[in-house]
Amino acid sequence: MTRTLTADEVEAGSELPELSIDLTPTVVVSTALATMDFTPVHHDRERARAQGSKDIFLNILTTMGLVERYVTDWAGPEAVIKGIDVKLGVPAYAGDCLSFTGTVVSCEAGRVTVEVRGKVSLGFHATCTVALTLPPAG
Amino acid sequence: MSGRDPRPATSVPAVAASPVSDDELRELAGKQAALGEVRGAPAPDPVNEPMIRHWLAAMGDANPAYLDKGLAPPAMAQVWTMQAPRPGARDRSPVDDLLAALDAGGYTGVVATNCEQTYHRYARLGERLTPATRFTDLAGPKRTALGVGYFATWNVTWYGDGDEPVAEMLFRVLKFRPREGTREDRPPYPLQPAVNQDTAFFWEGAKSGELRIQTCADCGRLRHPPGALCPRCRSSRLTYTVASGLGTLYSYVVHHHPPVPGRETPFVVGVVELPEGVRIVGNVVDCPPGQVEIGMALRVTYRPMDDRLVLPMWAPEEP
Amino acid sequence: MSRTSAAIAGIGATEFSKKSGRSELRLAAEAVLSALDDAGLSPGDVDGLVTFTQDANQEIAVARETGIGELTFFSRVDYGGGAACATVAHAAMAVATGMARTVVCYRAFNERSGRRFGQPNARLSGEPTSQGLEMSWHVPFGLMTPAAWVAMFAQRYLHVHGATSEDFGRVAVAMRRHAATNPAAWFYQRPITLEEHQASRWIVEPLHLLDCCQESDGAVALVVTSAEHARDLRRSPAVITAAAQGAGADQMMMTSYYRDDMTGLPEMSVVGRRLWEQSGLAPQDIRTAILYDHFTPFVLTQLEELGFCGRGEAPEFLKDGGIELDGRLPVNPHGGQLGEAYIHGMNGIAEAVRQIRGTAANQLTGVTNVLVTAGTGVPTSGLILSAG
Repeated sequence: MTRTLTADEVEAGSELPELSIDLTPTVVVSTALATMDFTPVHHDRERARAQGSKDIFLNILTTMGLVERYVTDWAGPEAVIKGIDVKLGVPAYAGDCLSFTGTVVSCEAGRVTVEVRGKVSLGFHATCTVALTLPPAG
Repeated sequence: MSGRDPRPATSVPAVAASPVSDDELRELAGKQAALGEVRGAPAPDPVNEPMIRHWLAAMGDANPAYLDKGLAPPAMAQVWTMQAPRPGARDRSPVDDLLAALDAGGYTGVVATNCEQTYHRYARLGERLTPATRFTDLAGPKRTALGVGYFATWNVTWYGDGDEPVAEMLFRVLKFRPREGTREDRPPYPLQPAVNQDTAFFWEGAKSGELRIQTCADCGRLRHPPGALCPRCRSSRLTYTVASGLGTLYSYVVHHHPPVPGRETPFVVGVVELPEGVRIVGNVVDCPPGQVEIGMALRVTYRPMDDRLVLPMWAPEEP
Repeated sequence: MSRTSAAIAGIGATEFSKKSGRSELRLAAEAVLSALDDAGLSPGDVDGLVTFTQDANQEIAVARETGIGELTFFSRVDYGGGAACATVAHAAMAVATGMARTVVCYRAFNERSGRRFGQPNARLSGEPTSQGLEMSWHVPFGLMTPAAWVAMFAQRYLHVHGATSEDFGRVAVAMRRHAATNPAAWFYQRPITLEEHQASRWIVEPLHLLDCCQESDGAVALVVTSAEHARDLRRSPAVITAAAQGAGADQMMMTSYYRDDMTGLPEMSVVGRRLWEQSGLAPQDIRTAILYDHFTPFVLTQLEELGFCGRGEAPEFLKDGGIELDGRLPVNPHGGQLGEAYIHGMNGIAEAVRQIRGTAANQLTGVTNVLVTAGTGVPTSGLILSAG
């Protein structure tokens, strides 16, 4: 990721490359702790199960972070994220695989809107709209 | 037992789980919204490199821009003001009271539905963010796939050192009353109690979220399991006291084998000693079996087993 | 019950197996006939029958099958395995009062190949009888197997007395060691180690598999008649020196969790006090004890309740080898229900008789008095049998 897309390189309908993340327990736990979320369901499998969950699962702050990463991985370091709206769906459990797909829905005067979907085996974990700006061409 | 409120005058604290009505919830929501924006404590740490580097590594984010420019990834906004794992004097926001009231109203389930963040700018290294919470809306009760519930919405704004907003978030949760299952997904629970005139009050109490302990209306003696007469004074004027819902684990077992109908193994059954002076048997839940120990503090919780039966169970009492 | 008024004159049993392949009625009839042969009596000599409430074979059916004619006394004793010694007590009372001259006590079941007591039975709390209502405070929470009911007491015992699972394990190891040299035992020549006990899987914590007695098919019968009559028969009699039943205050079936203390068995204390009073004997007069061992923890409790050691001292008693064949109080020389067979305590009474006769597989020397107990955690019973 060294080059940033410019506004003229993006158009509505452009698709982002897919990104799949294996949700190992390490991923679930390390992201929960990096986001300062110590709720037991994100790091203690026995507690999570005792509360009726299948396993530990991703916390929301991590979902936000991964969506941000997914879009900036594609857009490049000079892109500026202006907002992320997430509708939350099924839980993303440890042991599952979270796959992101994205489509550009609008691009006007360097302001880009991308729709992102994060899918796990149970269905959509997150349905997101991400607003960002890209530098102008040249 | 005939009356609906036969609670006797007794020295035992009779704390009723006062059910909160929909009207009361709406009233409280209005009150909390009227509080407007309530400032919380500033972040314990300023925006700093180590936490950013740790976060980037955990997310697998290789974007060099943040540390190169001395900026925090915008999605970290909330991270700076997360509460420590062992809350001391916990910051209380207008949202907490409302969520507690929803719990008391039976809307005990919770699931986050929306998280919408707007970033005015990226936070800078060294600045200390301060959150401010505004309760905005309570919508419901609505029928949802999870059960009847309320959507509670609030906004958090993070202010930077210059007291200008850096980031904003709208957060919405569905607080729902766990749905009484349909015939397909909730078969009748196989382990039903036998109930007669002497014991019906207990099971009716469990359904309405009360832990009722048989009490002699004449001599005041509490007794569990309940019986037909007061063995101390022979009175047949038996009523009940609503217990505080607190208890201490006196003994317990972890059942592994053989399989028990209607149950997943392993499960924990305990003998719980109540401050009211009686013991009662129930499951210990929301706690891994390996962490259960005699003497632990417990609080009653009510679990619907099918359309008819609610069992009082026991969860660790959080300190 | 006055000393020497009644005696056990005959014992009989089927083989102990996991699958008898025969009806429970046939097992009962075989055991009854075998006990009568042992006593040197014929079916026509029997005028009384006693069994457990839980037995599936009515007295009249057993009488029909075995050619026992008219009956003048028949009785059943309730509360599961707590009935075992009480069947003999009831028979002795009938003999003492003249209700009957010769009474046979029996217990027969296919407890392994038929209905297994260790399996959950949702009907336990199904009816609003006093017992159904009592069970209703426990069964809905999944607390519904004998192992689980006992484990609740055991956990408290461990906590209060600082004991460990190994202390329970020593009982299992001793019983299997005794059974290993008893050809009638299911676990003949199959001893275990404490390590194997500790490694066996959890049934209901804190009970391992090897804390739980086996499940058996089989039957045992005992012939009770007056001591005077017994002395004229083929075998030397085992005189019923004392016989007692006991229920504690606030007693429940296996789940007396609401009494002040959960580390004891007050009902066994009632039985013990009666046995000592009736017999004029004391713990040191007992050469060997047959202690009901469906689960290991209650063997410790019984040692304490009966006064063989002080409260909380049973773990030390076991560590010292107290219950071994060469110990202070050899317990269950036949291997008990953990080692020989689970016939609801009746096989233990037969062992007590053999010890007094001097015909046991693991025969002890100088046996004059043997104490026997019945089911634990339930209203129960006990006997002191003596040579004479």
